[in-house]
Amino acid sequence: MGTPSVVTSSWRREGSPVPGTSGQLSAADDERSQDTTREAASTGEEQVEETPEERAARFERDAMPLLDQLYGAALRMTRNAADAEDLVQETYLKAYSAFKSFKQGTNLKAWLYRILTNTYINGYRKRQRQPQQQPTDEIADWQLAQAENHTSTGLRSAELEALDRLPDSDVKNALQQLGEEFRMVVYLADVEGFAYKEIAEIMATPIGTVMSRLHRGRRQLRGMLTDVARDRGFLREKNQEVSTS
Amino acid sequence: MSCGDPDATCEDVLAEVWLFLDNECDSARRETLRRHLDECGSCLERYGIEEHLKELLHRKCGGEHAPEDLRERLRNSIRDSVLRQAEVTVERGPEGTSVEVQEKPTSPAE
Repeated sequence: MGTPSVVTSSWRREGSPVPGTSGQLSAADDERSQDTTREAASTGEEQVEETPEERAARFERDAMPLLDQLYGAALRMTRNAADAEDLVQETYLKAYSAFKSFKQGTNLKAWLYRILTNTYINGYRKRQRQPQQQPTDEIADWQLAQAENHTSTGLRSAELEALDRLPDSDVKNALQQLGEEFRMVVYLADVEGFAYKEIAEIMATPIGTVMSRLHRGRRQLRGMLTDVARDRGFLREKNQEVSTS
Repeated sequence: MSCGDPDATCEDVLAEVWLFLDNECDSARRETLRRHLDECGSCLERYGIEEHLKELLHRKCGGEHAPEDLRERLRNSIRDSVLRQAEVTVERGPEGTSVEVQEKPTSPAE
């Protein structure tokens, strides 16, 4: 059957501690991450003591180049530039304060995304400037119905050309309209190219949830894109091979 | 429509097309699916559509640039915190939290 043999449960343990993960989330993120650091250091993997200057340099070298990407993800989460900036700033400062405990050689990008997601979910979303719209896993009926009409079978190669002509803003807007979970999974998989197990880690969900959200999100998104293309006159009415209308 | 491949029917391939696209199949399965796609025009077309859509999203929704002043602000904050951490050590033990200050802090502690 079509399920992959990937199992993700152990993966999370191998990664570096993430500040603000749900298990240890509190205001005292910084102190806690320093605790974890001590534990990590005492487990004895030869960890050369790093001066704060060296750590800052390492952060500059490894983490700062990912800023554009993290900002892009923050934009997709918050859906406005001011919030995205705040979110990324908070994320980076948290990441820096926990950077001592980040294991070199593990996936820094996924680690940063995880902090971003946590920061967003735990608190940030609550004081968001733009009100949240739809409930998460529940999709409004009309959206479902809309999506069913355009499962990918309905889309033909020739119609892709119409989607290609859509301005970036149309595609971004369509993505923005997906419910949050779907939006982030689609973004992480298709825009950022993360593997399922990385997305599972970033979003702290089982891999099966990632897959089902990805499937639903993609279906919904292509339905919306097809509609936008049609509204803009790039596409003929569906099921209308001959124009008698 | 069916092309008689016993290891992967068209139905299988279409069900797994996203796994293939996302590179989430193991290598043996991947090889089987690839063989099917090489030989089956209709599945290949479907796969092409999916691949195109993924690429389209990447192209149209990626490539954002963080504002330059955000980058600067972050660098400044980190520089400040390097200065602070050189001077202040926070110890958390069973007795509670103690703060050891080696030199006068030049910026306010958090």
